[in-house]
Parts: sequence; C-alpha cells; structure tokens
Amino acid sequence: MDLIHLRNVNRSYGRVRALRDVNLRLAPGTTGLVGNNGAGKSTLLKILLGLLAPDSGSGTILGCDIVAASSELRGRVGYMSEAAATVPVLKGVEFVTLAGDLYGMPHRDARRRAHEVLNYVGLGELRYRRLEEYSTGNLQRLKLAAALVHDPELLLLDEPTNGLDPAGRAGMLRLIEDLIRETDKSVILCTHLLGDVERLCEQVVVIDRGTVISSGTMGQLKQQIHNQYELAWQGASAPFLAALQTLGAEVTADGTPNRAKVLVPPDWSNAKFFEVARNEGVVLTQLSPEEENLERLFFRVTRSAPESAAVEPSDPQPDVAHGN
Amino acid sequence: MGIDNAHYYGWEGRLQSPWRSSLAIVRVALLQVFRRKSYWVVLALGLLQFLMFWGLIYAIKQVNFPQQVQDEILEFMGFEGAGATENGYVTFMQQQSVIVMILLAFAGSLLVGADFRMGSLPFYLSRRIDRRHYILGKLLAISTVVALMTVLPAILLFLEYGFLTASLDYWVDHWRIPVSVLVYGAVICTVLSILIVCVSAYLQRVAPIAITWSSIFVLLASMSRLLRRDGGSMYWGLVDPWRNMRYIGRLCFGTFETNEELNFALWALAIMTVVCGVALALLVRRVRAVEIVE
Repeated sequence: MDLIHLRNVNRSYGRVRALRDVNLRLAPGTTGLVGNNGAGKSTLLKILLGLLAPDSGSGTILGCDIVAASSELRGRVGYMSEAAATVPVLKGVEFVTLAGDLYGMPHRDARRRAHEVLNYVGLGELRYRRLEEYSTGNLQRLKLAAALVHDPELLLLDEPTNGLDPAGRAGMLRLIEDLIRETDKSVILCTHLLGDVERLCEQVVVIDRGTVISSGTMGQLKQQIHNQYELAWQGASAPFLAALQTLGAEVTADGTPNRAKVLVPPDWSNAKFFEVARNEGVVLTQLSPEEENLERLFFRVTRSAPESAAVEPSDPQPDVAHGN
Repeated sequence: MGIDNAHYYGWEGRLQSPWRSSLAIVRVALLQVFRRKSYWVVLALGLLQFLMFWGLIYAIKQVNFPQQVQDEILEFMGFEGAGATENGYVTFMQQQSVIVMILLAFAGSLLVGADFRMGSLPFYLSRRIDRRHYILGKLLAISTVVALMTVLPAILLFLEYGFLTASLDYWVDHWRIPVSVLVYGAVICTVLSILIVCVSAYLQRVAPIAITWSSIFVLLASMSRLLRRDGGSMYWGLVDPWRNMRYIGRLCFGTFETNEELNFALWALAIMTVVCGVALALLVRRVRAVEIVE
C-alpha cells in the first residue's frame, strides 16, 4: 500500500496558487520534502495532515482519505510543527501528556507514555521543568516527544533542526536516525537543509512554486547530478564550445576570452574534452573539475538563486483564515 | 542526554472520542490559572468577599442584633426589596462576577491569546480534535473558573443559611434558590466565557484585552447611565451588559414587581443571546489551524 497517494491536488489562497496539480505516490519509508520559500511545502504538509482541504483533487494517506477521514488520520500521524507551539506555564511532562490527551489517549496512558517518550528523546531529567526554561534544542526534542506520544505510524517533521546549533542539530538528527532504525515508522521530513535529507531520507520530493518537479529515491536524484569543469584553451572558441554542446554539455561563459564553465552529464569522461579539443584544433590549458553536490543540483532543478533557499518559509501571519 | 541508553517502546490502545479531549483542555487551563501567583491576588479578593458574606450571615443568625442593625446589614448585603433573599444572591453573584471579570481580563491572554500569539493553535488542532472541541474546551475552562467564584460560593452561602436556620421549612420554602443560583450561574458562565474567549482570540495581548474588556463592562455602563439620566427611556439600560445580566439574574430568581421590569428582563435576555451568538460566530471564524495572509 502507498504511504501517500495524491491525485491532481490544487490549493489556492485568493489569487495565489500554492499547489498546482500535485500528483504524488510515496512508498513507506523516510521522505524528504524540499523546496524554497513559498514553494508550497507547508501547504502540502497541512493538506497531508487534514488541516487544509484541497480546492480540488483527492488523495489518501495510510489508506485514509485526506478530507473525509482527517480526524482518524491525525490519530495515526504525529506532527511536529516548525513554530514554537508551546503552552505557557506547563511543565514538559504535562505538555506531552496534553498532546496524548488531545490525540484521544486515556489520560493515565497519556501520562505514562509521556514519561517514556521524554526519556527516549533524552529529556528524562528535564521533564518537570517549565517550558519557558527549555532551550531551543530541548524544545525541538519536546515537540518530537509530543508527536510520538500516541505511537503514530507516520511522522511529519516540519524543520526539526531549525534554529539549532551544530551540536543540537547533530543530536536531533541522531535521534531521528535512531527512531527510523529502531521502528518501522514512516517519516516525512520537511526541510530546506539538504544535508539533513541526504543523511536521513530514502526518498526525496522537490517542490517548487507549488509543483512537484522531482520525486524518487535518493539514488535516482543523485543520478541527475552533473559534474562541472572549468576550462581554458588556446584556439578558436566558437566551434569548440559548439562541439561540446552537441555532446550534451551545458556551457556557461563568464566573458573572459577562452575560458568557460562546462556542466557535463553523469556518464561523461574527461577523455571527451581532449577528443573534442583535438578534433577542433584547440589546445586545452586548464581542466579543473568541480563536482556538483546535492545543493547545486537542487538549485539547478529549481532554477533559483542559492541565496533564496537559505531561509526557511515561516508560517504566514493571521489575517484572513481558511482551513480547519 | 541518554538517548543511547533509551529504547523506543510502542503503545497499544484505543483512542477515545475527541470530545473527551475538551476536558484535557479544561484541566490544563485550570493548571495555568492556578499556577500564576499574581492571579491569586484576584482570587483572594473573591474569597474575602465570600468570607465577608459568610461572616455576616453567621452574625445575623447567631448574634442577637437589634432589628435595625440586622436590617442595615441585610441592606448592605443586597438583601432588600420584594424578593429580599433572592435579590441578595443576585447581588452577591454579580459582585463576585466583577472580581471574576478582573481575573479574566488578565487570564484571557494566557488561556486563549497565547495560543494565537505563540502558534499553539496548530499544536491543538493538529491532534485529533477540531475547532469545535477546542472552543468547547476553552469555554468550559473559563466557565469553570467563573463557576468556582460565583456559583460555588453562592451555594455554600445558601447551605450556611439553611444549616444555621435549623429548620426543615427553610429547605422546603427555598428549594428554588439553589436551582436559580445554578441557572443564573450558567448564564454568567456562558456570557463571560464566550465574550472573553472571543475578545482574547482577536486581541491576544493583556493590555488590549483589558482595555476592551473594561470598555464593555464599564464604558457601556456609564454610557447607559448618561442616556437614562434626565428622563431618558429605561430601555437605554439595555446598552449596559452588566445591568442586562442583573435583570437576567432576577428573571432566573423570579423577583419582579412589575410587568415592565419583566419585559425589560426579556429584552435583556434577547440582547445578550444575540451578542453571544455573534461573538460565538466570530470565534468560530477566528479559530483555524492554518492562518493565511491574502
């Protein structure tokens, strides 16, 4: 059974189309949902959670209809929000117990389970502290505990490492990694940190301007990785570059004479450069490889500036409300 | 942090109806109110007033004061007019409501405003409950605080008076009083909880909530007084929600001397019903898991 199956899902906010004809099939496992600011990640996550109804289209998660069975669905899904989302004055264990109560667990079970999951996420000793005294890292762990309290089949984690220092981030990733290894839970990780996705996820969905532009396993995504070279040569430029382009390379000239950056397909071998140079009567004077990483691949497929992906989209502020 | 030593254990159990989750919201809200030490000052005021009434009733029943002194004490307590006993309860509950009103002006921000301000609303609504359960939980929470400060002390005063009377006739003759206290208490709880939850959901922070809240109950009362002065129609009194509540209270206790007063009370009931209906509709509109800017 598919974990998620969405068919032609659309969602607009006024005149802004947040999601356009999203079709998605995901198998159980760990999936990274990546995209730039305003790409539609959060909207998709909220539709998956049944908090927002799509304008059109349909879908199922864990076999439940995303609109008709949203309450039942939320009983099987654990959601860790990006926002602080704490309840003032409460202590850690009370907060997680409240989450259990809100999922519909019997109160005694919720309380016992709160102690268990707090211990699991490493907050056993801090459970009786008030939420105001928790650090950002511990708050993230606490929110993870609140998402785990009812032992869900699917975890939706919205920016779990957001705002953490390197040590906190490493700890959180290790915790999620342990959880994935130790249980058969499926996880959807919504993030702009591609390193997190690369480390944790088997599948990845890239979303841009409301459209799913790439989805598949991490291996399939990495097959799209191209290598880039910086070339310098002596001789006629135009026929040399045209010959490279004929073979599938993408050439970017920066204006300097006889220099260019060349993006080549994955099956390219360096010998081809020398072969083309020989055929076109050119002498190569520089051939410096620059391997494309996942981040560069992401920028290429979303065709956006690197700077724009550095900031995570925040939840919009209240004005006009829609949804649940 | 010990995560290497901890193992994940699953949970096997049946999830209950989301309506039960409303009770969890009530429990947490009471924890929040009673943990704030500053709120205890206001709660202590309510307790002091209750103790004063308790002491005065004890004094009237146990000490042989001259009749004039007794009358003065009763008048001070609001036990005057045709339905002296019933009016006394209305007055007591209304005075307690004033103290509750002060408490709610501050607690509204903590109990409801913070959910909007700190993004906790999605925390609630991303669980199995939806906005019906959330709103019911918050209304019940506020109502519980209101009932603890109005209905409970009024019932205790009734019991005190009854036990000090040492006569079975008192219970037989006045069986309507506790029923009326409960009905009037339900009205106060409903009105105050709907209004404060609605105001807090929109304004969120303490200062604007307190200003709006006091405007509703103080400014409108002053405006109503001014409009009625110099021979204005008594129906200008309907502008004052506090006065409306008092008349609804008298309606519950059935202590009217004239048909005009009864009519006024029915108008007050209709107005407060419409106000609460509008506030509830606005509240339902405001409580959403996802908030979007157009």
